[in-house]
Amino acid sequence: MTAAVRSQAMFFQARAARQARDSGLQKTLEKARPLFVGKRAKGLAGLADDGLDFAGLRAACEAIRRRVVDDLDVWLELFEARATAGGAEVLWARDGDEVARLVVDIAQRHGVTKAVKSKSMLSEEARLNEALAAAGIRPVETDLGEYIVQLAGEAPSHIIAPAVHKTLAEVEALFAQHHERPVQARTAADIPALAAEARAVLRQHFLSAEMGISGANFLIAESGSAALVTNEGNGRMVTTLPRVHVVVTGIEKIVPTLDDFATLMRLLPRSATGQGISNYVSLLTGTRGADEREGPEKTVFILVDNGRAALAGSDFAAMLRCIRCGACMNHCPVYFSLGGHAYGWVYPGPMGSVLTPLFTGIENALDLPHASTGCNQCGSVCPVNIPLPALMHRLREMQHERGLRPWRERLALRAWAWLAARPGLYRWATRRAARYLRWLTDESGRIRVLGLAPEWTAGRDLAPPPGRTFHELYAARKRA
Amino acid sequence: MRLALYVTCLVDLMRPAVGLAALRLLEEAGCEVVVPAAQTCCGQPAWSAGNRDLARDLAQKAIAELEGCDYVVIPSGSCADQIRNVYPQLLADDPAWAARAQAVAARSHELTAFLADVLALDAVPGAFAGSVTYHDSCKGLRGLGVKAQPRELLARVRGLTLAEMRDCEECCGFGGAFAVRFGDISTAIVDRKCEAIAAAGADAVVGGDLGCLLNIEGRLRRRGDTRTRVLHVAEVLAGAEPA
Repeated sequence: MTAAVRSQAMFFQARAARQARDSGLQKTLEKARPLFVGKRAKGLAGLADDGLDFAGLRAACEAIRRRVVDDLDVWLELFEARATAGGAEVLWARDGDEVARLVVDIAQRHGVTKAVKSKSMLSEEARLNEALAAAGIRPVETDLGEYIVQLAGEAPSHIIAPAVHKTLAEVEALFAQHHERPVQARTAADIPALAAEARAVLRQHFLSAEMGISGANFLIAESGSAALVTNEGNGRMVTTLPRVHVVVTGIEKIVPTLDDFATLMRLLPRSATGQGISNYVSLLTGTRGADEREGPEKTVFILVDNGRAALAGSDFAAMLRCIRCGACMNHCPVYFSLGGHAYGWVYPGPMGSVLTPLFTGIENALDLPHASTGCNQCGSVCPVNIPLPALMHRLREMQHERGLRPWRERLALRAWAWLAARPGLYRWATRRAARYLRWLTDESGRIRVLGLAPEWTAGRDLAPPPGRTFHELYAARKRA
Repeated sequence: MRLALYVTCLVDLMRPAVGLAALRLLEEAGCEVVVPAAQTCCGQPAWSAGNRDLARDLAQKAIAELEGCDYVVIPSGSCADQIRNVYPQLLADDPAWAARAQAVAARSHELTAFLADVLALDAVPGAFAGSVTYHDSCKGLRGLGVKAQPRELLARVRGLTLAEMRDCEECCGFGGAFAVRFGDISTAIVDRKCEAIAAAGADAVVGGDLGCLLNIEGRLRRRGDTRTRVLHVAEVLAGAEPA
C-alpha cells in the first residue's frame, strides 16, 4: 500500500453504524435516491424511441469493454502512438504517488501557481490536491459538487454526485463563509442563484489558472483522444483555457474506436443520470494547432495503473469493464443507508466494495465485501454487466482462504456445519432450540432480547416458533 | 410424479406451518411428496461466508438426498437459488459431482414457480378475506426470475386482493448473516420496506422467503405495527390448516 492510498475502510463497521443512525443524512439521501432510480428508468425507457433496448445495448457495451480488457496492452500502445502523433505527451504512472509527482513536476516546469480541475476520481486515488497544495500550487475544483466538498474539506461521497450528502443549508453556509457574505435563508428555488454564485467565482479561476487537470471518461485508441462527459461546462473551460492540460486517468478507460465510444455513450449517461446524452460531450485531441485560437499549448496524458494491470487476467478482470456511471451505488440499499463516506476510500457502493480491497489490500478492507445483502440490484443495472455480488463473494472466499476472518466466526461456522452434516444430532439440537425460543417469548408473544444474536433484537423483535420443528410435526402426522 | 420437499432449515425451526402448507398444496395438486428425512441445511450460510469447503460438503449431502426424485420443491427463493445456481458452479470442477449437481439443479424449483410453471395449477385451496402486498425477495426475483408466479397464484385465492407496495423489488435488508453482522444498516434498510408496506395499507405482507419475512415482521412489530400480518405465500395459498 502506497502512502497515497491511506484508506479508512477498516473502520467501515463503526462508521457505518454511525451513519446508519444519522437521520439527517438519511433524509438527504432519501430525497436523492428516487431521482437517480427514476431518471435512469425513464432514460432506459427512452431507448425504445430509437428502436433499442437495454439488454441488447448492454451486451454490446460488455463486448466492447471485454475486448479492451482482454488486450489492454495492445490498445494502450495504439493510443500512445496516436496521441503522441497528435502532439500530446503520454506518461505512465505506476501508483498514486507517481501521479502526484508527475503532475507537480509538470506544474513546476510550467510555472503554474493555480490548477483548475474538472472531476477526476483518479486524482482522489492519488490525493493529488494535497500533493499540489504541498508544492505551493492551488488546486481549485470546478465541478459544482466537487467545489462544494472541497470548500467543506471533505472527500466526494459519490462518484458522479460528489456532494449528494450535503443539504441546501450546508451549501449556503459554506458559500457564505468562503465567499465572504452573510448567510441567507434559502429554499430549493435559490439553487440556481447558488450555482450562479459559484460560477462567478469559478470564472475568475478559469481565467487565471495556468493549468487544467481533468480525468477522462474514455480514451479513444484510434484517434488518441480523451472523451469527457459532463453537464456543467466546467470540463471545457478546464481543458481549453489554461496553457497546460493534464489528463489523469486509469489505463482501463480505453476504447478501441469512436464507434465503440458512441455505443457506450448510449448507456453511460442514461445509467448515470437518465439523460439520453450529457449536456457536453468533448473529444480532446492533441494541442492547439498553429492556426487554432483555442486549446492548450501543452497536453499531457498520465495513464495510471495503481493496481489495475494486476486485475487483467485475474478473477476480477470484469471489474476493469467499469465505466464509472454510479448506477450500482444508486440502486444499492446499503449505500443509500450510509452515504459514501462510510466506505472509507475513494470509491463507495458495490463497485467500491470490490475496488477498495483490490487496490488497497484485502486485509485493509475486510468488511466491505460483506457489506452487501447479496440482493444483486447492482449487478442487474450495471451497463457493462459486471457481476458485482459474485466479485464480492470471491473476495469473501479469499478472506477465508487467507485466514483473515475472525476466529469466532470461523468456529461458529464450523460447529454449525458439523451439526448440519449429522441429521440425528441436528434434529435433537433444533428441537431444543425451538423449545428454548418458545421459552424466551414474552407475554406479548414476541422475543425482544435474543442473547445469541443481540444484533438481531437490537432493532427487531423475533416472531417465536411454535415450539415444535417441522420434522417433529411431520413425523407425528405420518404416525397419525 | 414423485417429488422431494426441501423445507429449509429456517422453516423447520422457525415456522413449520410453511412446510406443512407447502406439503398440503403439493399433495392436493396430486403429487406424491416425500420429505427426505436427513435434510438439514443447503449450506448457503457457509457459501455466503466464503467457506467453499463447508458449502461443498453440505451441497453434496443435499444432492445425495434429493437426486432420487423427479422434482425438488423448495419454499424459498434463496435456498432454491443456492441449489439451482450455486451447486453447479460449486461442484463444477469435481468430476464425481458436477453432473449430479447439474441434474439436481435442473429438477429443483422454488415453490410458486413449480406450482405455476410446472403444474400450471389453476385452483388453490386458500381463502383470504382482505388485501395483501407482495414483497419480491432478491434471490427468487433476480436469481430465478420468480415474479409473476406468486401473483398469478395469489389471484386465485378466494377473497384476496393484491395491493402492490412501491419498490416491491427492493431488498428488505435481511441478507442472512448481514442482518446480524451489520444490524444498524439492516435496520435502516428494513425501515424503508416497512414504510412502503404501511403506505400500501394491506392487511398482510406476503413473501416467498422466511428469512425476509422474519426480518420484516420483526421490524414491523418493533416499530409498533401489530396489525399487519406477515405470511409466507405457501400459508396464504394453502389456507387454514384443516381441523
